[in-house]
Amino acid sequence: MSDTACIEVAGLCVAYGDTVAVDRIAFSIQQGELATLLGPSGCGKTTTLRAIAGLEDPTTGLIRLNGDSVYDSALRVNVPAEKRGLSMVFQSYAIWPHMTVAENVAYGLKVRRRPRAEIDKEVRRALDLVQMSGFADRPASKLSGGQQQRVAVARAVAFSPSVLLFDEPLSNLDAKLRAEMRVELRELQQRLGITSVYVTHDQEEALAISDHVIVMNKGRIEQIDAPEALYNRPASLFVADFVGAANLIEGKVRQTGLVSVFETQGGQFLRVATPQGASGSETKVALRSAYIVLQADPSGAENANFATGTIHRRMFHGDFIQYVVDWPAGQLMVRRPPTEMIAEGALVSIMFSPEHCVLLSG
Amino acid sequence: MWLVLLPCAALVLYPVLFIVSESLNVGEPGVFPPEAISLANFAGLKDDATIIGHTLFVAIAATAMAVIFGFALAWILTRTNIPGGNRFERLMELPYYMTPLVGAMAWGVLAGPKTGLLNQIWHLLVGPEDLFNIYSAWGIAWVMALFEGTVAFVMISAAMKSMDPSLEESARVLGGGKLRTALGITLPLVAPGVLSAIVFVFAEMLGAFAAAFVLGIPGRYYVVTTAIWESTQEFPPNYGRAAALGLSLFIAMTVTLSIARLIMRKGSYATITGKAFRPRPINVGAMRWLYLAFVLFYLLVAVILPIGALLMTSFQKFATVVLPDSIFTLENYRVALSTGTLGSAFVNSLILGISVATIGVLVMGVLTWIVYRSRLPGRTAIEYVLMFPQAVPRLVFGLGLLWAWINIPIPIYGTLWLLGIAYFTVFLPLGLRTLAGVVLQVDRSLEECACVCGAGWLHRMRTVSLPLLRPGIAAAWLLIFIASIRELGASLFLMSPQSKVVSPAIINAWLSSSSELSAAMAMILTATIFVAVIVLFGVARTFTRAEA
Amino acid sequence: MYRVWLAAFAGILTCTPLAWAADGVCANPTQMDGFKTCADVAKAEQEGALVVYSPDPESNSAGMLDAFHKAFPKIKTSFIRLQTGALYQKLMTERRAKTYQVDALQLTDVGYALDFQKRNGWVHYISPEMAAYKADYKSQPEGYWTWGALIVAGLAYNPQLVKAEDAPKSWKDSLDPKWKGTINAKVAASGLEHVTWYEMKQLYGDDYWTKFAELKPSVFDSYVQQFDRMVSGQDSVANTAQYSAYLQFKAKGAPVEFVFPTEGLTVTPGVWGVVADAPHPEASKLFMDWLLSAPGQAAYDKVAYLSSPRPDAAPPPGGKSTADMKLLYPKDWQAFLATHAEYTKVWGHVSGAR
Repeated sequence: MSDTACIEVAGLCVAYGDTVAVDRIAFSIQQGELATLLGPSGCGKTTTLRAIAGLEDPTTGLIRLNGDSVYDSALRVNVPAEKRGLSMVFQSYAIWPHMTVAENVAYGLKVRRRPRAEIDKEVRRALDLVQMSGFADRPASKLSGGQQQRVAVARAVAFSPSVLLFDEPLSNLDAKLRAEMRVELRELQQRLGITSVYVTHDQEEALAISDHVIVMNKGRIEQIDAPEALYNRPASLFVADFVGAANLIEGKVRQTGLVSVFETQGGQFLRVATPQGASGSETKVALRSAYIVLQADPSGAENANFATGTIHRRMFHGDFIQYVVDWPAGQLMVRRPPTEMIAEGALVSIMFSPEHCVLLSG
Repeated sequence: MWLVLLPCAALVLYPVLFIVSESLNVGEPGVFPPEAISLANFAGLKDDATIIGHTLFVAIAATAMAVIFGFALAWILTRTNIPGGNRFERLMELPYYMTPLVGAMAWGVLAGPKTGLLNQIWHLLVGPEDLFNIYSAWGIAWVMALFEGTVAFVMISAAMKSMDPSLEESARVLGGGKLRTALGITLPLVAPGVLSAIVFVFAEMLGAFAAAFVLGIPGRYYVVTTAIWESTQEFPPNYGRAAALGLSLFIAMTVTLSIARLIMRKGSYATITGKAFRPRPINVGAMRWLYLAFVLFYLLVAVILPIGALLMTSFQKFATVVLPDSIFTLENYRVALSTGTLGSAFVNSLILGISVATIGVLVMGVLTWIVYRSRLPGRTAIEYVLMFPQAVPRLVFGLGLLWAWINIPIPIYGTLWLLGIAYFTVFLPLGLRTLAGVVLQVDRSLEECACVCGAGWLHRMRTVSLPLLRPGIAAAWLLIFIASIRELGASLFLMSPQSKVVSPAIINAWLSSSSELSAAMAMILTATIFVAVIVLFGVARTFTRAEA
Repeated sequence: MYRVWLAAFAGILTCTPLAWAADGVCANPTQMDGFKTCADVAKAEQEGALVVYSPDPESNSAGMLDAFHKAFPKIKTSFIRLQTGALYQKLMTERRAKTYQVDALQLTDVGYALDFQKRNGWVHYISPEMAAYKADYKSQPEGYWTWGALIVAGLAYNPQLVKAEDAPKSWKDSLDPKWKGTINAKVAASGLEHVTWYEMKQLYGDDYWTKFAELKPSVFDSYVQQFDRMVSGQDSVANTAQYSAYLQFKAKGAPVEFVFPTEGLTVTPGVWGVVADAPHPEASKLFMDWLLSAPGQAAYDKVAYLSSPRPDAAPPPGGKSTADMKLLYPKDWQAFLATHAEYTKVWGHVSGAR
């Protein structure tokens, strides 16, 4: 727990009767950061977010915002949602249909009794930020999905909160709009420098916009890391499988050290970089599809792993080609740029570096 | 399809035809076609201006009280975290099962001048002046609000439950306090639902009979429904006046109901979301004890006090002036149970309830499907026709049926068949409304698939559509069964020695029996309904659980 | 005048055996336990049921029919109770719809009985028991309907609320403004009320009922409600208070006192007859014979505390004989019938319905 941490969560437990939704999690988010809670449905990410907002009552734990406890089960502190001073964008946008766009955006300011002139100024500023300036007097019931989403964001930032929460705000939009909006949201967040917590089940989205990603599964935290670290060095089988496309190769560890040797079930020996050392009991190696080279030059890097295989199937995905390659240890999924067209049935030389292999147990 | 549709439309419309005919009839009453027509009966309505004024006053007062109670209770029970919230919701339906007839009789005992139980307590504590006189306009309105006004609670709480919870949560997160959120966000969003409930309840109050009958006549306070009844209780009967009054009431109710429907359609903000979340209860802190007290107060005046009063009266020899002097006896129950009339009335009501509910749901299932799922041209007109009986006061409808069947040569007058037809027609809107909600949830593609597989309309109905409607059918069956047992207005004119039914039998008994005996009968009726409701809910629950 | 003529006629009839036969009493009436009947008793028991329409309070009818059922266990009884006007209206409606459900009918307004006779609604059945009744107490010619009870009315009050010296002594007394809001009467459909209205109008003119309306009385469908309200203290005085009601309530121990008004007591008959096209004709005739007989009248009066028109009958339990009372009733029933519309209109003002 750092003194400059904006949001601190410790020992948080949320249970409904016999079901435990969130099981003793802890993390902290620094000022100005965007942290994402990532995980499959039912992992507890939305519950955690709502607990921070004050919309759920946890069972035990501690939540601090800017150093002040808003929830502390030991001291019986539970600040009601309306007093926590945060802001939230909901999955359904929650735009009030009986008000105009401007009235929606002005709500947080009105509640804080800001003078009229200030309210107007901030509302205009917020609408400019989301490029909805012309819609100020439009009745809110007459907006499209994307427009509602923007107004929801404008409303959330209008009164300059210190913390901004996002509950899967883009999941109701179509793919193209989603891709555009995530960029805008990230830019907005960085420009305003508001500490943000973002919840999503889309790992691509999480990797793209976050400073840190908190991966959750069945109420527990699997790993907290920056996106590249999460991608390159998944700490568990779950993370390896959930974040990015990975191959999981079965086998046994033969030698440990800074570089360990792993014997696959097909009898090959792979070199795996293990800067943290290895216990020797790991049974799997995770290898990202994008890190495998086909048609490799065997005379390349000395310490790389080489093998031969046959193209079993080729699927054209537009931005990349997915190959299913048969090799002695089974099948490998490989992603290559669309320029590398190899025919099905062709023999290929496979190469991947030890740094891209990750030893995992389980 | 037409085989089902046309008879139902005919059933709904022909009594109205006879009401119109009789209202223009200035010759011998009850003859069809009338020997002489003129508008004299309508002209005569100006003599009844006071009565019409009374009707409006009572309806407005009752609606106001019912909606205030309904809104407050709906908000407290569905939106706040008072202890035991869910259980209380079920209890709110109790006054409906008790029927306004029993409620009026009970409140007569509680708050009659001089000897009402509450007044007696007041005399002991304060002084000889009465606190309440239930035999008055406000008394009638109060009882109507308590016992006919449950509808307001049900409609408003449905509107509140269907609101997207995030609309309120976002307001709270942005800093809005509970009161501000309630007034600025919740209220405007449920406003269309509340408004349509107000108008709907008003229409119902216009046509209400039982309370005005029990409490109005002794207090010399007449409304349109009791005036209609009075016109028919003499020889020669003044059918012209009854029909003219009935038709005016019918027109008033149709107009109000159309307004209600318009408000619902136009003002709705489509607040129903796909999410399965129920709106989160708001933590109201210490205030929840105050709210709990309010809910308990309502239960006290609507259920506990009335049942208590009737129970006590039913065991008394005389309802005497001085309470401590009362002599208690089981005689009233013995007489009530031994009098052949009540026994056969119960059996008849049960038979009717079961048959009408069973046949009713099957037919109404098909009708609902036709109105909401088929591509039949003019199906909105059909919906309108089938919902017609909602606008006709039950009493007036009963009269129309009476006049119709006097003149139709099929001899079903005086049999249970006639009552069965009456009930079926009068409950069409109820069944349609309940089943409509379920039908609209059934995905069209399920039926389209059956069609592509080659199933004809009837086969699809039988094997796909009706089975899918099962939960709704169970609910509709229950509602129609209960409505049949408590039915009063439509059956009052159609009874005969062979076809006595419960509520009218109690009214007849009340007219010529002591209040103690009537209290005993009312208690037996209420107990029977409660038992039937509990049994049937249990059965329905296992039935739907087996499906789920 | 009419009565004298009738008495003479009846006298002549009874003196002539031939006339006796011409009257139509069956040649061989069956002797039952305490009475004679011309009905086919075996057939009646085969019919097995009896349906009665009567304005008597339900418990009275139930008790009376119970006694009949005890005498003839094979015949199941049922009844419908409505006040006379409503009852007659219902009956006519049924007959218009060609539905015939009633066997025996009681009406407490002679006007309706005459009307029904005009429409051939009664069966012409001369019961052997009718011989015991005065000509005044039967239809002309006999056999259509007979007076099965004498319903007399005066005033009543609750002695716990009203001291004996303050109580009204005459019909005129009951108009005292001090009774405003605490006095009650019957509804327009009641035959007894029609007679009372008619008689007071004869005595005091229309003014009587205008003044009565000013007292804002409550009106009730049956005497049970009237007396119930008096006993419970909600009303102090009952106008058109049935003597039998007083006896019945007094026997139960209720605080009621009866006043024999100085002008006299109004009286309406309970007119009984067998209905045409009855579903159980023989049972119906058997019932009529039983009802008009001495044991039948005794059973009826025991339950209903009514006064019997039979000269050999005892006064009702705890009460005086009508022979000791000054009785007021219309001399010309046809003229009485003609006043019905006017009466209903006036009564609308009295009850507050108009």
